[in-house]
Amino acid sequence: MNDYMSSAHSAYDDDAQVAKWLQQIVHIPQRDRIDSSSTIKSSSEHLNTLELLTQSDYHLPFYQQLPDFVMALLQNDSQVELQYAPLLYHLAGCRECHSAYLDLYDAMSTAIQPQGQRSLLGQGTRTLAATPHRMLAHLCQSLISQAEAILRQARHERANYDASARSLLQLAIQISAHISQSTVRRQALQDLVRVATLFDGHTAPDEASPDVYAYTPAVTGTGHMRRGRTTRRSETTIQRGQEDLPALQLQSHSLEGSIVQKGQTLELHLHDLAETLRGRVVLISILLGSLIEPIRWHGGNPRAIRSTNPVDAHGVLITPLGQTDLHIENNEERNLLEAIFLLLEVRALD
Amino acid sequence: MPFTAHDLRYQTEHSYPLLYAYLHRNAQRYLGALKYDAFEVDTVIGHVVEQLVRLGLLGGGSQTPLTALDRLTDAQFYTFLSRSVRNKAIDRLRKRHLQVNAVAELETNDDENADNDPLHSTVESLWGTTPFATPEELTLHLASQNHLRAVLRHCILALSAAPNQLQAILQELQEMGADTLLQSIQTELQLPLSHEPVMHLSQHKDHAHKKLRYCLQQQSSNLTVIVALRLTIYTKTATGSNNYTVDIQTLAQHDLTEDMVRKGLDELVIAGLLDWHGETIVHLTAVQLKRLGRFYKEE
Repeated sequence: MNDYMSSAHSAYDDDAQVAKWLQQIVHIPQRDRIDSSSTIKSSSEHLNTLELLTQSDYHLPFYQQLPDFVMALLQNDSQVELQYAPLLYHLAGCRECHSAYLDLYDAMSTAIQPQGQRSLLGQGTRTLAATPHRMLAHLCQSLISQAEAILRQARHERANYDASARSLLQLAIQISAHISQSTVRRQALQDLVRVATLFDGHTAPDEASPDVYAYTPAVTGTGHMRRGRTTRRSETTIQRGQEDLPALQLQSHSLEGSIVQKGQTLELHLHDLAETLRGRVVLISILLGSLIEPIRWHGGNPRAIRSTNPVDAHGVLITPLGQTDLHIENNEERNLLEAIFLLLEVRALD
Repeated sequence: MPFTAHDLRYQTEHSYPLLYAYLHRNAQRYLGALKYDAFEVDTVIGHVVEQLVRLGLLGGGSQTPLTALDRLTDAQFYTFLSRSVRNKAIDRLRKRHLQVNAVAELETNDDENADNDPLHSTVESLWGTTPFATPEELTLHLASQNHLRAVLRHCILALSAAPNQLQAILQELQEMGADTLLQSIQTELQLPLSHEPVMHLSQHKDHAHKKLRYCLQQQSSNLTVIVALRLTIYTKTATGSNNYTVDIQTLAQHDLTEDMVRKGLDELVIAGLLDWHGETIVHLTAVQLKRLGRFYKEE
């Protein structure tokens, strides 16, 4: 009996020593992160948006196993440890995923317990337009961040998850179209261009090159603080081009331009282009043009639209970009178009 | 009009306002004194929304696999959301209490609504009897369960391609007093512990730790151990010989595909534990079977 007790005690000691050593092995160093609460607060005060609480470099493949793992535990599945050994080793070393596991375990165990009274549905807004725009912006940021996490994982696994990431970015763009305040909308899509360049085969925008002119939509309705409250200029007024046609204004540093709608045709109007471009045909690249496709692009490829005529002697270029059923005069459709034209590059065609 | 997990996955634009309304109501309910603090309400809602996106549910469409959350009934799903909101609200309340602690200590606690304060209802144990409630509890479990420990042995064995790193790990095990594990590794590798000083020991140790961490979290490592254990269980004596055989279908059982079994077998061949060239019947000698059993089944 004493031998048995002694042996069991010795085995426990051995396990405890191995466990102590394992903690050193599996520990994933905490990332240097700034206090998310303070970031949220300051951002919230200035931009009326809620920043993300989780960054995109979280452990996606393990995180997404958690619901099934928790359910297997709750159902006392005898195979759970066999099936989820890699996840267990991960949870032992990752505080963030372990915390998410605890959160999910508690919520799911409560959910599957039989209860007499269930929570009632909320009463409140029922449309995206009536939902607080800061929360729409937060959803857009979450979706874009998730797309980034998926693309990073694809790169790590040398796999192709483009379709999954693309659908999240498309959803983010569609939801952002319901945000009427341009600064909040801009905040919602602030990472869109960067993440879109992570797609396989895409190259980062060449903004540093002096031969490339990178246009972005001009900011309208800039909010400003007055005694702690944000006031905004009305943004319902549709901008109009020179011929009193509906237009989206563009800017590239001191240069200005616009996308003018003539019927179904979207036409690019640029002014004051450099001497080096005058008399030359240019190549226009719309980075997000292939992400969603409400526009039938001139030439078929939004990353390489060839101008139909050269830049004139005064530095003016007017050339068609494509055809669309969307209308700039419709607020949500204009917002959608603005998202598509978040980055438009112009360079000389050699 | 109710929404479902299915709606959040496939009709996100339509169902998000309904989700927001539901989360908002619950956030106000659980935030107690902070219920009119728009920042706190947003933070709680934002946490749950982010969690649903990360899990591949909100906006996941058909691109991300269904999980147990998709299989909850509608009532269960609402309870899940409500509980998630509650947990985050408690987290925020605790954080705010910590921030005002210095002032609060100078004041008497005359909270008449203490019974309604969600913080009080969770003082005893927020997580109840949650398994693996701490990383420490989890590592002890990993070290004490045979299958999980076999994965660890497998990954240490894989270090034999880098002798200095392996020696660094063996020295660590000796220093920690993990004698049983150390002996099983040494017996398998027939490798005595070197007492010669290893140059750049800490560097080798760091590299070994990284490799081990990576290996332990790989599904392929787990698969190899599962296949090895099944070889020790399901092989039968071949007629008229001292060898043992088992077919791949038997090794697959109901939870693995044949491809997965083949991958596991490939890994065992690479580790030098098996001779197999892709046949549907796996042959083992008595020595190989004994070795597999000794290393993967028990120490």
